[in-house]
Amino acid sequence: MDNFLKKHSGRLKTTAFILMLVIPFLLYAAASYNSMLQVNLLLVLMGINMLYVMIWG
Amino acid sequence: MDQIGPTNSYWLACAPIHILVDYMTDLFIVKWILAFSPILTVLVLMIFKNWSGSRAGAAGWFVSLITATLVFGAHPELLAYSQMKGALLSLNVLYIIWAALLLYNVVNETGAIKVIGIGIQRFSGDKSIQIIILGWIFASFLQGVAGYGVPIAVVAPLLVGLGFSPVVAVAVPAIGHSWSVTFGSMGASFQALMAVSGLEASYLAPWSASLLGITTFLCGIFAVYVYGGWKMVKHSLIAILIVGTTMAGTQYALAVSGMWTLGGFGASLVGLGCGLAVAKLKIYNQTSPSQTNLEMGLWWALSAYLILIAIASSGVMIPSVKAFLGQVNLSFTFPEIVSLKGWVTKAGAGKGINLFGHGGALLIYASIISFFVYRSKGFYKPHALKAILQKTVQSGVPTSLGIVSMVCFAMIMDHCQMIYILAEGISRVFGSFYPLVSPWIGLLGAFMTGSNTNSNVVFGVLQQETAQMAGLSTALILAAQTTGGALGSMIAPAKILVGCSTVGLSGKEGPVLKVTLRYGLLITGIVGIITILASFIT
Repeated sequence: MDNFLKKHSGRLKTTAFILMLVIPFLLYAAASYNSMLQVNLLLVLMGINMLYVMIWG
Repeated sequence: MDQIGPTNSYWLACAPIHILVDYMTDLFIVKWILAFSPILTVLVLMIFKNWSGSRAGAAGWFVSLITATLVFGAHPELLAYSQMKGALLSLNVLYIIWAALLLYNVVNETGAIKVIGIGIQRFSGDKSIQIIILGWIFASFLQGVAGYGVPIAVVAPLLVGLGFSPVVAVAVPAIGHSWSVTFGSMGASFQALMAVSGLEASYLAPWSASLLGITTFLCGIFAVYVYGGWKMVKHSLIAILIVGTTMAGTQYALAVSGMWTLGGFGASLVGLGCGLAVAKLKIYNQTSPSQTNLEMGLWWALSAYLILIAIASSGVMIPSVKAFLGQVNLSFTFPEIVSLKGWVTKAGAGKGINLFGHGGALLIYASIISFFVYRSKGFYKPHALKAILQKTVQSGVPTSLGIVSMVCFAMIMDHCQMIYILAEGISRVFGSFYPLVSPWIGLLGAFMTGSNTNSNVVFGVLQQETAQMAGLSTALILAAQTTGGALGSMIAPAKILVGCSTVGLSGKEGPVLKVTLRYGLLITGIVGIITILASFIT
């Protein structure tokens, strides 16, 4: 796992960055349509993304 | 407009936790400490644990998410909208940062940064003059035409090229440019202050320009002190006094005469001429300038920045060009958001992005033109474009991760009253000594959001109301607010991250923050003392 993360560190960071900017737009859309399930799922996804940044960022 | 509030199911599920937390946080001090915990997390991790800005920012995001949800009444809809506002605010900053990194790599790939460094060494071998011209005056000039971290991103690598350590190279322009933030970027921060307070420029400008005028000298002194201590300050005192008086005086004259949009730009432009003249004084020509031969002409090396100045000046100051570029705006509207604790964030549009007239867009135009100019003169090696783009992405991503995470957690705090509680706590503790702490509140806002403008938007009304309740001069307190906000630029992790990324310090921002924090807090303390003394005479 660690080897994989180290090997692909550059790409994973770029992906994390893109997700950080894209997820809020999806959150906005989901909240505008009052879709609570999607909002919660996207918040969890945002949390996982932040966790990756916090540990390996 | 719709109103977004807690859903019944969410409220029922969380009710036992909220009752328990309410009992525990009955005391304001507990609430204040909890509101402060995300900022404390970032500071401790960056300064004492040497974490990178991106890792610390993500940790701060988690702390703010947990405290906001458990203590300050955040709910999923609130979090969703706050993150979107954070993303929009981040995009505004990232647009500039990525474009500044692109311009830097376009220039650096030709070897021009090294040439500019040698060129200034040939102009003056005196280290204090090099710091004054580049780190204080030129950085302020760049704040006048661009802002948003560009001064640090551009000047830091130039100072490294002159032989300064990377930490000093980032810290010096960070400290040096802060005085010009409020009236820089065409007075965007001052405009925000007027908008939220509903007060006229003629009422606010005199005190704002006066306090910022004093910080002009302090920024110059501490920019020099960071490198050479009091001995170097003493050596360069004449230059600091002449240039400082010129810049502070010009800024005051422009601000009070209604031309506050040109306050930072005009003052630093006059300062630049004055600085070059002062550098010719005998006392600053005792060290022989470098005689190294240049690989390209100095004007060719500087051409990218001259192109930037021409484009940025016309894009901001010529109304027809400004109107033409400002036709496409990306913006989103937000409903009124109410937290579980009843804190209301008003409905309205989030931070819009002016796609073609934004500072970042102007930097991209300058980068593209500069690239073709350098290429036509044969300054690039084969495959230079690929190298430029690769280097831009490599240094841009870690910096951006830190900025987005920090802005996003600041938005969570803002929507859950946490920032307001921090400011209220400070004002409660200090009571009648409020003028002493009003710049600290401005500083806090800028530290959190990386922007003087945002600090004025978030805390402007609070400061105005507190001043009125205490019978203090509103103009003075709002001047202290915006001065603190301007000084916050030197300690805002978002801006430090930008500078560090251009000198190879990505992930090692802690030592720089330690330096800028020390002097940022010291200057803010001095401004606070001046404000309270001034409050006795107004």
